[in-house]
Amino acid sequence: MRRYLRLLGIFWRSAVATELEYRANFVGNAVLSVFWLGWAAAGVSVYFRFTDSVGGWSYPELLVVVGLFFTMNGFQYAALSPNLERMTEYVRQGTLDFLLVRPVDAQFMVSLRYVGVYNLFDPLLGLVLAGIGLAASGRGLSPGRGLAFLLLLGTAFVLLYALTVALMALAVRLVASEGLGNLLEGVVETSRFPTQAYRAPVSTVLTVVPVAFLTTFPAQALLGRGDARLLLVAPAVAAGATVLASLAFRRSLRSYTGASA
Amino acid sequence: MREPDLLVAYRGLLRASLQVELTYRGRLVISLLSGLFPLLLLAVWLTVTAQAGAPAGFGRADLIAYYVAAAVLFQLTSSYLAWVWDADLRSGELSARLLRPVDPFHQYLASALANRAALLALLAPVLAVVAVVVPQVRYPVTPAIVVGTALAVLLAFVLSMLMAMSFAMVGFWTTQSGSLYSLWWGLGSFASGWVAPLDLMPPWLRALAVALPFRTTIGFPVELLMGRLDGGETALGFGVGLAWAVAFALAYRVLWRRGLRRYQAVGG
Repeated sequence: MRRYLRLLGIFWRSAVATELEYRANFVGNAVLSVFWLGWAAAGVSVYFRFTDSVGGWSYPELLVVVGLFFTMNGFQYAALSPNLERMTEYVRQGTLDFLLVRPVDAQFMVSLRYVGVYNLFDPLLGLVLAGIGLAASGRGLSPGRGLAFLLLLGTAFVLLYALTVALMALAVRLVASEGLGNLLEGVVETSRFPTQAYRAPVSTVLTVVPVAFLTTFPAQALLGRGDARLLLVAPAVAAGATVLASLAFRRSLRSYTGASA
Repeated sequence: MREPDLLVAYRGLLRASLQVELTYRGRLVISLLSGLFPLLLLAVWLTVTAQAGAPAGFGRADLIAYYVAAAVLFQLTSSYLAWVWDADLRSGELSARLLRPVDPFHQYLASALANRAALLALLAPVLAVVAVVVPQVRYPVTPAIVVGTALAVLLAFVLSMLMAMSFAMVGFWTTQSGSLYSLWWGLGSFASGWVAPLDLMPPWLRALAVALPFRTTIGFPVELLMGRLDGGETALGFGVGLAWAVAFALAYRVLWRRGLRRYQAVGG
């Protein structure tokens, strides 16, 4: 375990060091991140010219969801898609062979090797907006709600990671996998709004497909209008999804015959 | 380059570009998926209208018709050339393009045209299904509207390409041209009809949008297609769009001449 954490540290440090050589880029992208956060917050305000609540969410409450969407989107671009993108190349060029012979767990190497530095601060920026939304909603914060929120936020990260691993397993089997990254993006993009903002049957589907777990449930917990049962269900779902995705990944490797040499 | 030569060159460029597009069909499908965003906005509008009633003058059917058309317009007219340029400048690919006997402008234009033609071929069957399944997707089809919309879509394509190319030229001086174009596009998306139909925006923004270049790229062709514009508004829309297209074409040309003098090839 410690060895893996150390490896992760090395991966991240090297990514940051490379990026810091291009400081103007780094600053430019940080400015752009703040801009898109403001863009997302201003964009949803148009609805409130015609109504006080979208699917039961006031504007400040909706900002919590938009902030969490930004967090999830940033997590996706920083940690998940840089690795998922390389999957096609791994399988097609046989680079996967070289990863498999290393004395490190294959799933670890394939899913956590690369970091997208441009979006490294997006998760934090998103949390800032969620905080602003919470403050503006006037609902205050209690330690219990804070803890529930952190637990559900954690399960959201884990679920998104599990989904990525499952897509990677699919990539090994399909070989052609350009569209898989878009599937991940689509799931995250849909979590831009709380599931109640969509109408049945779409909103029901989104609870089953884990979109609701990404932003709606953590936001509800933070605002104190969540369902307490979720605190048991969500971690169980996340754990189950991770185990299933890992199994699927291992099975897909068994069907992989190598492409190098 | 003499006119007939340019036509011959275009035939070759278009054929080559189209072949590239058809070789990487997967890429086309991916760019189609970026159409999810307007459909999400539409879904939320439908929830809002179900709970609070439709905004005056913009009913549920209008919302559906608007966003479906806007999603298609975005596919056909948005330009990714700022990023292509950025990559070409950094990798030194621009040097290779400069060596060819056709101005890079035409090379990029031909590749963008081929991309949209392939995309349209891919979109057409999807749209046919949508039109059958969703009865709200209906537009008043008169000869005037069909011709007008076709011209407006062409103008939208040309203007967004010229804007992207002008911003791409900033790449000769800084590595931030892609980011700058993102900012420009992002700010403009409030006035273009991308974030919401301009009819649903605050009056001051609507008034401003008429004079800005952004509405030409999405809102104007869609409103025209929906039959929401009278003769005067249509003429004004074309006039404003054409004026901006000329302005950006000049800006591109000036920046291109100056930038090229600064250009020191990377790589090679």
